[in-house]
Amino acid sequence: MEKPTPETAALPVEPLWYKDAIIYQLHVRSFYDSNADGVGDFRGLVQKLDYIQELGATALWLLPFYPSPLRDDGYDIADYTNVNPAYGTLDDFKTFLTEAHRRKLRVITELVLNHTSDQHSWFREARRSQNDPRRHWYVWSDTDEEYRDARIIFTDTEMSNWAWDPVSKQYYWHRFFSHQPDLNYDNSEVREAVWEVMKFWLEMGVDGFRLDAVPYLVEREGTNCENLPETHAVLQFLRQRLDEHYPDRMFLAEANQWPSDVLAYFSNGDECHMAFHFPLMPRIFMAVKLEDRKPIVEIQEHTPAIPDACQWAIFLRNHDELTLEMVTDEERDYMYDAYTTDPAMRLNVGIRRRLAPLLDGDRKRIELMNGLLMSLPGTPIIYYGDEIGMGDNIFLGDRNGVRTPMQWTGGWTAGFSRSDPERLYSPPVSNELYNPKIVNVDSQSRSEHSLLAWTKRLIRTRKLSRVFSRGKMEFLSPANHRVLAYVRTLGNETVLVVNNLASCAQAVELDLRRFKGAIPTEMSGGSVFPRIGELPYLLTVGSYQFYWFRLRRL
Amino acid sequence: MTELIMHRLTGTLENLLGVAADFLPKVLAMLIVVALGWVIALAVKAALKRILTMLKFDAFSADSGVSQTLRKTGLPSPSELLARIAFWVIWVCFMVLGLGVLGIVEFQQEIASFFQFVPHIFIALLILFIGILAANFFSRAALLAAVNADLPTPRLLSGSVRLLILILTVTMALEQIGLARNTVLLAFSITFGAVMLGLAIAFGLGGQHAARRLLEKYTVEREREKEEDISPL
Amino acid sequence: MAGPNDNTITDESLFSDEFLRQLIAVGEVDLLVGIPSLNNANTIGHVVQAVHLGFAKYFPRDRTVLLNADGGSKDGTEEAVTSVSLGDPHRMLAPQLLRTMHRVTTRYRGAAGRGNALRTILAAAELLRAKACAIISPDLLSIRPEWIDNLLRPVYKEQYDLVTPLYRRQKFDGLLISNLVYPLMRAAYGLRVREPLAGDFAFSGKLASYLLERGISPEDASPYGVGIWVVTKAIRGGLRLGQSFLGPRIRASKDSTQDVVSMIRGVVGDLFRCLEAEESLWLDASGSQPVASFGFSYDVILEPVRVNRKRLIQMFRNGVTELQDILKTILGEETFGSVREMADPSRERLHFPDELWVKTVYDFASAFHRSVLNREHMMQALIPIFRGRVASFTLERHSADDNELEAAIEDLCLAYERLKPYWIERWNLSR
Repeated sequence: MEKPTPETAALPVEPLWYKDAIIYQLHVRSFYDSNADGVGDFRGLVQKLDYIQELGATALWLLPFYPSPLRDDGYDIADYTNVNPAYGTLDDFKTFLTEAHRRKLRVITELVLNHTSDQHSWFREARRSQNDPRRHWYVWSDTDEEYRDARIIFTDTEMSNWAWDPVSKQYYWHRFFSHQPDLNYDNSEVREAVWEVMKFWLEMGVDGFRLDAVPYLVEREGTNCENLPETHAVLQFLRQRLDEHYPDRMFLAEANQWPSDVLAYFSNGDECHMAFHFPLMPRIFMAVKLEDRKPIVEIQEHTPAIPDACQWAIFLRNHDELTLEMVTDEERDYMYDAYTTDPAMRLNVGIRRRLAPLLDGDRKRIELMNGLLMSLPGTPIIYYGDEIGMGDNIFLGDRNGVRTPMQWTGGWTAGFSRSDPERLYSPPVSNELYNPKIVNVDSQSRSEHSLLAWTKRLIRTRKLSRVFSRGKMEFLSPANHRVLAYVRTLGNETVLVVNNLASCAQAVELDLRRFKGAIPTEMSGGSVFPRIGELPYLLTVGSYQFYWFRLRRL
Repeated sequence: MTELIMHRLTGTLENLLGVAADFLPKVLAMLIVVALGWVIALAVKAALKRILTMLKFDAFSADSGVSQTLRKTGLPSPSELLARIAFWVIWVCFMVLGLGVLGIVEFQQEIASFFQFVPHIFIALLILFIGILAANFFSRAALLAAVNADLPTPRLLSGSVRLLILILTVTMALEQIGLARNTVLLAFSITFGAVMLGLAIAFGLGGQHAARRLLEKYTVEREREKEEDISPL
Repeated sequence: MAGPNDNTITDESLFSDEFLRQLIAVGEVDLLVGIPSLNNANTIGHVVQAVHLGFAKYFPRDRTVLLNADGGSKDGTEEAVTSVSLGDPHRMLAPQLLRTMHRVTTRYRGAAGRGNALRTILAAAELLRAKACAIISPDLLSIRPEWIDNLLRPVYKEQYDLVTPLYRRQKFDGLLISNLVYPLMRAAYGLRVREPLAGDFAFSGKLASYLLERGISPEDASPYGVGIWVVTKAIRGGLRLGQSFLGPRIRASKDSTQDVVSMIRGVVGDLFRCLEAEESLWLDASGSQPVASFGFSYDVILEPVRVNRKRLIQMFRNGVTELQDILKTILGEETFGSVREMADPSRERLHFPDELWVKTVYDFASAFHRSVLNREHMMQALIPIFRGRVASFTLERHSADDNELEAAIEDLCLAYERLKPYWIERWNLSR
């Protein structure tokens, strides 16, 4: 195995890079096909890195690209240290990594720790016999009566968390699909093996891991087997190893839980660097629909403070459905009624749609939502295609509707591939509103007023100041509840954010007395506004409009 | 002799004729003034009637019960009455004016004082009119209030109210005309005092029981009544 | 353009700056509930809670606002409104609120009175473009969150413009309504609105604008007449009327002015005035139509109102005797004869027949219209006769149950409808 080329490690050591990052989430398969086989690949991705860099993103998050039987869209990994041949070779990946780093793009990959595919060599060895040395890398039992308090996650397909292995005549434990046996983290060999996997990628230059399904690593009798202290211990063990050898790499935990429960995954800053803020996302959608700031303010007020080195990851849409697990029943019903006109849009406990169609293609609302994403505390994640307002295809089963080929041009294959359109891994969106002729990168690159151009400007504006990525946030509470206003502060830098969540213009009076004397400068255009005085500061905000004001005493 | 007599007769006749010739135009002028007065008065009467009708004066006085009082005494409607009064006052004024034309010195002074007097008569009449209106209105209001409050002698109360107001009105009217000021004032004081004293005595001595009943009603029975009252809404 | 109108806008605005600021903050709403108040600190909290829970439970997704229009309370009513909390939502069975809860309280311009309060609420409703609004009394002890649903839903979802309540009343409660107001309005306008005087009712944004356009005159501002005025105008505007069952109406306080005398003066006076103003609407109408009813009707055992009949009869007889002269001018000759005969103290029992009562009411309404006497005085002259009617009505239905009582009222209504030609004849008499 070659040593990493100098370029791959070229990025300077910058331990808190993830706090200032703007993450672009993509699937290699869906981004660009370089060899005309209908499937995206790493070589293709490399060709499009300039695009991502121009957009202003500073990090990439890749969905799983490992060899896999693809029974769970790559989350069933058959070999942790290789690349799925459909996407290229390990060398292709290294080239990609080098090219990304050359463009100052950090790379975050998926790591599914909890389980492997049943095709993984570890499991194939383990199931050979009850005495196999690999046997205890997985969780086996003679009965399916153990850990009865653990809930079954995929209730639609699985009857039990135990599956019978006819070869070795024992049950094995799986929290997800039965073809995904759980690794046994009580076994130190497993922990070491997983660290080896991490080391493999870290050594190559990968900057961070998104850790999938972390709450379920360890099982204990009499518990629901979620968020156990032993699980945290495993993560802390991995973190410790990471810090010893790779001080500027990052763990991003996926734990779809309430913020107060997620807090444990930050521990004292010695576990995960980042974690997703799941409950915030549906509430942003809800607030805009209700034209009422209450949902956002409420969830932010229920979000506890996190250690200094830690950061929330926030997003509007991702490769999964818009999850409605972290809302009340009343709110869920409302979200379903407000955002799904067709039952086919619903999946599990959520809505499987992209940003633009969810907002009826309304440019103003798309802008407002992106404005919120970029100004609320946390590191924003942009899902590929949302920067140009791509649509979805709800008739494509499971979550494939939001994983269609990236639309580069207006051609038959959306410029995604030179193959025949029929050969594509998935048909491009073809409806009248969002088909590639209407929505594509090519046409939007030509206009200063396209969503793409606008998104670039927004990101550029955000990057003007670290106050958005690292600053504190404090809500203002103007009487007009359709206006969501907050102040971000970092050191002596202050930014006032005013969002109109309503479809019609609003007048709002802000109590800014403590900034008396400061002069607001609107950040996107640089216009200067009247000096703040003793009286309530009166602003009028147009339909779904938002302002970012830098408050300066000059 | 005869000549002398004739001369004297002729002289007298001439004298008479002279006087007559001197006086006759005055009489004629007087008649013309009186006739003109009649015409003007008639015109004023018609105009006043029209104006009062337009102002719905009848409805207004009906409201306060004057119409009913008038009808009872066989008088015409208030606007008709007012018009007639105006007619006569104006015509009489013209007649007096006509007398003045005759140039009889003894009349002149009387006429002058008559014209000084006319506005007072008008004001006095107005006061009387308003007084009657008020007396009617307030006496009826008192009657209704007394009946609805279940007071013992509603009519006495309402009668007293009417009487008081009328006395006050008449006094004011008479004073306006300037008739025996002191007498009127005295008479009013005596009457008013008597009525008050009468009421006081009536309540104090004669109406002891009635008064007690009244007081009880407003103190002791108040509670019970409230609870047993009907609830219309 | 600067003109004289500019002055009227600023000078006569119903909205103080502070109130306007609050309304701007609330913004457009779907539902508005107005609570006029005057010294109701003790009870209004309960009402506010019921309204908010009603919103939360029945209209969780809709934009709502509660508006308290205060007449200048001295007992901290406004503070009582603003300080109410809904308590633990889980225990109160209320779902968690999706939206910000809006509660606005203001001291309305002008003298304290339901008319001014209503005007302020209507103006606010128009400004906020409320689709459905309701007025709720501040002193209701029996209000439940369901009321909000019962009142607002027909307006909000079924496109009704005015929804009046149907109460479950104590026996012999509301006799003025059942013996005079309801049947008279029914006979006049041909619509069976059972509680036209209601303190609690709902109306559409359309009706709010319609009423505002017509303006509320000082006479409409009497404590009682607002309901009559609203119902009459709604009929005049050809709007859709409905009614909704609410259940028992129990209030903490009797109206401060709730003695029979001032009530009849207020209510009947307002009613007659409205009838006169809308003459053209009913002179040619006959018969009556039912009004659509909503809500689930249920029975409640309530203690009957106690009536001191002996005293009523005595007051009736005294009144008729003492007021003979006045009554003679108001009533028709025949009616007057019958009333006087009935009031004869030598008679053993008092029986006030329906027809005679109807004719009496018609005579009074007509005399009022023709102004044969001072109108205020005429209203007062009606009081002893009404007492007689109450005595007779309650005596004869001493042991009647709810259904029998309703049937008796229905009979009375039919008598009113039957005798309407008599009314019209009397109404059109020249002075």
